[in-house]
Amino acid sequence: MPSDKNNKIPFNEDNYTHNIERDNERKLDRRGFMKTLVGAAGVFAISSLPWGAIAAKELMGLGEKEYPHKKITNVSGLPIGDAVEFKFPGDHDDAILIRLSETKYVAYQNACTHLRCPVFWVKEEGEMICPCHHGKFDVETGAPTAGPPRRPLPEIQVKVENGAVYAVRVKRYEV
Amino acid sequence: MKFKYIGVALLCAFLMMNIVFTQFMVHQFYYENYINVLIFGGLNIVVFPLALFTYKKTKNEKA
Repeated sequence: MPSDKNNKIPFNEDNYTHNIERDNERKLDRRGFMKTLVGAAGVFAISSLPWGAIAAKELMGLGEKEYPHKKITNVSGLPIGDAVEFKFPGDHDDAILIRLSETKYVAYQNACTHLRCPVFWVKEEGEMICPCHHGKFDVETGAPTAGPPRRPLPEIQVKVENGAVYAVRVKRYEV
Repeated sequence: MKFKYIGVALLCAFLMMNIVFTQFMVHQFYYENYINVLIFGGLNIVVFPLALFTYKKTKNEKA
């Protein structure tokens, strides 16, 4: 098709290559912009689905997984107020068991929820302390009480049987 | 001219709400407040049809 386009300088075309006809290809008008906004809202809606799904799963208790019970220590080997470290549920998941009274035991995975330094038990002060940034945790609940950590330590449920303490399950286990 | 960009403004507001809800949702997830995660996730999903409706209503807005 003959055209006198080549005789005009500059070419009156809105494209990168100046050899194909694409009218106003790069123009973003009001309607196109609104379409983009609606699309972005759709992306937000879709992307919140997995979070909601996992939250619902946790609420229904499906996230609670039972691991093979593991013997931590003998009751006689752990005086009141002392702590012992162990691994649960995997071989690389550090955890700590603290005996608070004659019958009360608490256990947590002791990787600090800030940057995963090992949290240890200070008997004299009755606190769990992370040495890296002086994060502190409440020994009764595992909730953070001071320093950078904002999330509680994952609690491990324990049971006492035949004079020994067993780890039963992790209340919530995050990789 | 006065109302030509009302749709754009509304959609921008919806997108801002999306951002805020998503931020809340993710934070509440890591705080393990799963009820709040469901609330904000639900709000996030509800905003999308609202945005679509707003777009359809205002796309032919004349100057």
